[in-house]
Amino acid sequence: MREPPTVPARSSPPGSVIVGACATVVPSDRRAEWQAEWVGELAYAWSVRQRGHDTPVSARIALWLRALGALPDAIWFRRHHGGDSMLSQDLRYALRTLVRWPGFSAVVILTLALGIGANAAIFSIVNAVLLRPLPYASPERLAFVFGTPTDGDSAKVGRTSSYPDFADIRARSRAFSQLAAFSVRQTTVTGKQFEPGIVSGAPVTANLFPMLGVSPLLGRSFAAEEDRPGAPPVVIVSNEFWQQRLGTNPNVIGSSISLNGTPATIVGVMPPRFTFPGATAVWYPAGEPNNPQTRGQHSFTILGRLAPAVTLETAGREVAGIAKQLEAENPADNAKRGARVQSMTEAIVGGVRPQLFVLLGSVVLVLLIVCVNVANLFLARAAARTREVAVRTALGAGRRRLARQFLTESFVVTAIGSVLGLFVAYWGSRLLVSKAPTSIPRASEIGIDGNVLLFLVGLAVVTAVIFGVLPALQMSREMPIASLREGGRGMRGGLARRGLRQALVVSEVALAVVLVVGASLLVKSFWKMERVDPGFVPDRMLVVQIQLPQSRYGGYADGDRVRAFYADLYRQVASRPEVQSVAVAMQHPLAPGWTSSFTIDGREPPPHGQEPESSIRPVMPGYFRAVGAKLLRGREIQESDGVGQPGVVVINEAFARLHFPNEDPIGRRILRGSWWKGMPSSYEIVGVVADERFNGPRAPADPATYFSLAQFTFNDNWLLVRTKSDAKAFVPTLRRIVWSMDRDLPLENVQTMNELLGESVADSRFNTTLLSLFAVVALLLAAIGIYGVLAYTVAQRTSEIGIRMALGAQRSSVLRLVVGNGLTLAVIGVAIGAAVAVVAARSLERLVFGVSTTDPGVFAFVALVLTAVAATAAALPALRASRVDPIEALRSE
Amino acid sequence: MRPTRLTLPTAMVLMAVSRNYRYGFDISDATGLPSGTVYPVLRRLEEAGLLRSRWEAVETARSEQRPPRRYYTVTGSGTQAVRDAMDRYPTLERAFDQPARSPEPRTA
Repeated sequence: MREPPTVPARSSPPGSVIVGACATVVPSDRRAEWQAEWVGELAYAWSVRQRGHDTPVSARIALWLRALGALPDAIWFRRHHGGDSMLSQDLRYALRTLVRWPGFSAVVILTLALGIGANAAIFSIVNAVLLRPLPYASPERLAFVFGTPTDGDSAKVGRTSSYPDFADIRARSRAFSQLAAFSVRQTTVTGKQFEPGIVSGAPVTANLFPMLGVSPLLGRSFAAEEDRPGAPPVVIVSNEFWQQRLGTNPNVIGSSISLNGTPATIVGVMPPRFTFPGATAVWYPAGEPNNPQTRGQHSFTILGRLAPAVTLETAGREVAGIAKQLEAENPADNAKRGARVQSMTEAIVGGVRPQLFVLLGSVVLVLLIVCVNVANLFLARAAARTREVAVRTALGAGRRRLARQFLTESFVVTAIGSVLGLFVAYWGSRLLVSKAPTSIPRASEIGIDGNVLLFLVGLAVVTAVIFGVLPALQMSREMPIASLREGGRGMRGGLARRGLRQALVVSEVALAVVLVVGASLLVKSFWKMERVDPGFVPDRMLVVQIQLPQSRYGGYADGDRVRAFYADLYRQVASRPEVQSVAVAMQHPLAPGWTSSFTIDGREPPPHGQEPESSIRPVMPGYFRAVGAKLLRGREIQESDGVGQPGVVVINEAFARLHFPNEDPIGRRILRGSWWKGMPSSYEIVGVVADERFNGPRAPADPATYFSLAQFTFNDNWLLVRTKSDAKAFVPTLRRIVWSMDRDLPLENVQTMNELLGESVADSRFNTTLLSLFAVVALLLAAIGIYGVLAYTVAQRTSEIGIRMALGAQRSSVLRLVVGNGLTLAVIGVAIGAAVAVVAARSLERLVFGVSTTDPGVFAFVALVLTAVAATAAALPALRASRVDPIEALRSE
Repeated sequence: MRPTRLTLPTAMVLMAVSRNYRYGFDISDATGLPSGTVYPVLRRLEEAGLLRSRWEAVETARSEQRPPRRYYTVTGSGTQAVRDAMDRYPTLERAFDQPARSPEPRTA
């Protein structure tokens, strides 16, 4: 009745891995039976729990905890059936060894702690951003319905949809059980309790929150009747908004705040960290009339919940079909407008996946180097322990027994290193979160959880095996009796060991090359990005948006009060002695803004719905001079280009290149619909200006049209102030001026242009900084590795060197011998590493800018750096070798 | 057969098995002892000849698509040990105030 009957299980239950690991402790003749008993119990308990109402996660944890009981049981088995309790003997011996070599132990443990901790820290980001499901009910069933151009011309059709399109898709779709729409609008909030401010606001359909499965912490969600035109305004605020502006007042429900000047009743407060979409602070019902005239205004994003058993593909086919119907029914507004479906998770985190995988890959490389280095250190120590091993073998310890002893030591060291690594991971992930660019989604969810802990434990085990097995194998292969006989010098074993250690150093150098190449590519690309001419001069410039509420300043159709305000503001700011120049514009030089269509006078107009688009950028006179944009031809926008005067426009180079490739655009006219009374519908091109990189430094500028703000008036504009000295020092004066004109205008986020520029390259900077850090660590470890091997070699060859010198060898030739030894290792490593790097660097393709991933300059530079590092690391042992006293060396023989 | 010390956990496990809690995890649930305590006790009791273990019928396990479990029963000398346990820990019986489980069909 010893052998367990076998039945193929569907899949192994949670905890079987733990049992499997413990089984190695059980004597081999009883192992299968022992393991079958534990797995049998786990499988039964798992099947019972799957039937019950236990949530899978808690059930899993319960089983893991149960499975941990296998360890005492296994140890009991070992003690009663394994002859002696070798494990505890090994453990005690390992601990004694640690204490006996304190310096060695400290170096190894710290290196491991850093390597494992850094990995767990990066993994904590990957875990939170990519692996953990979104914090909504059944997030895998949520999907966006995006607009998509059927002809591939994405400039014309964006991801957003119009409200009438949304209403039609909702009415016709069967693939979605629910469809909601939302938009994002900068919203001015005012109230008695707080300073006026501009926050991110979201008009949403009433079903958005129930569809996500999120309910307010206080109050309630929106009612369907509140989401109709003309309903009394209501608002739900974010937890952060509630804490920062409403004083965490529990009786806030029913009170009122103003959104863009209109009072709205607070009906709910959302739970902490819920800010969807983006970083929304206030939500209000879209209350959109299904007005066919708004079919051309694509400001809503559609999010839906798939109906049961419907796949993304089915839903995608369905919405594409509906979009086709809508195109046929509304040829003017929906020309070329298709629709596609993308899972919510993919849409939110898909973009950062390559970036995070590169970081994770690099940090794994660092850990590999750590392992190689630690293995090297262990081998070096093994050399010093040759005698000890020989004695133990002579006393009857078998090879397996010795190998196990070494493995135990590596496990003990790793265990201690991992515990320290946990602290590194904790602080590391906090540091990363505080430095992470805003482009990393879900950053607030990053932290150490069960997944990260499991990853860390797994990593520790793998690490211990990698660097523990090598010395153990090496040790058991040697001939201890011979080394005893050789008086402890261990020449034969030493030679074999040196070969292995040299191989390790070569692989270490190769790994370092891969990392340093990656980091250098990113640094070079970052350097190039920083040096892209942005098309304007960002120095000493303040940037702030001013939003004039329509309730007090009138709408677009009646721009007199708006124009008067900006003219007055311009005058007041420009008159200050500390100000060099001022500009007012609807978009600042780094804001992509939005586009609108036009036609060119005198040319055959394209079919309706296929007109070209350009970025709409109205400016006040003096804009180009103030921001430092180069006027290439013609003239700027002037004071005389006012209301009632002939319409004028300045175009950018990209516009001229695209539409007037071989003509002079000056004097030509562009035509566009007049949006309100008094707005011209024909504009003469009076100037061409060099491209401002308003899409960020990585992307070329799109065609842009700079109108006269007086002829193309909007309420919300950017004020750009170039100061004579420190820009930030001017902020209080600026506030005073604006608030003397209107106390209720929010002016929170006054930034400098250089800060804005910094944000536009923030994620490149983040990747570059991290990868450079890893590369420096890799270089350092590789240098230590080379030094270690050479120092050891020199020590081993002291007598040989002594003989050479006694026979007349020069110090310089000894120096050359040792340094050459180190360089040979480095060159082989560099060659292998470069070959690997060519392949590995392909993963950086989407992260670099203006640099080929096989940039010969970078590769040459890295080869040089590593060779130099190797030469430096070799210099110290070489010097020591050259100072060998032949008499001393020979005497010790 | 080796003599075994009748510690409290040992007595509890023995009592549980005699009450037809026959599988390791069930015994752990019934006694509240962690699995890491229950199993070594079971092994000791089996070595001492107070318990006997068998594998559950393959058909039962196969019908539920899982590997078979191992169960324990009290031997003749074990019955005497149960009586000793009750004498030594008179309050122990109250810990199992629920009635003894009906024995499951014996298959092996």
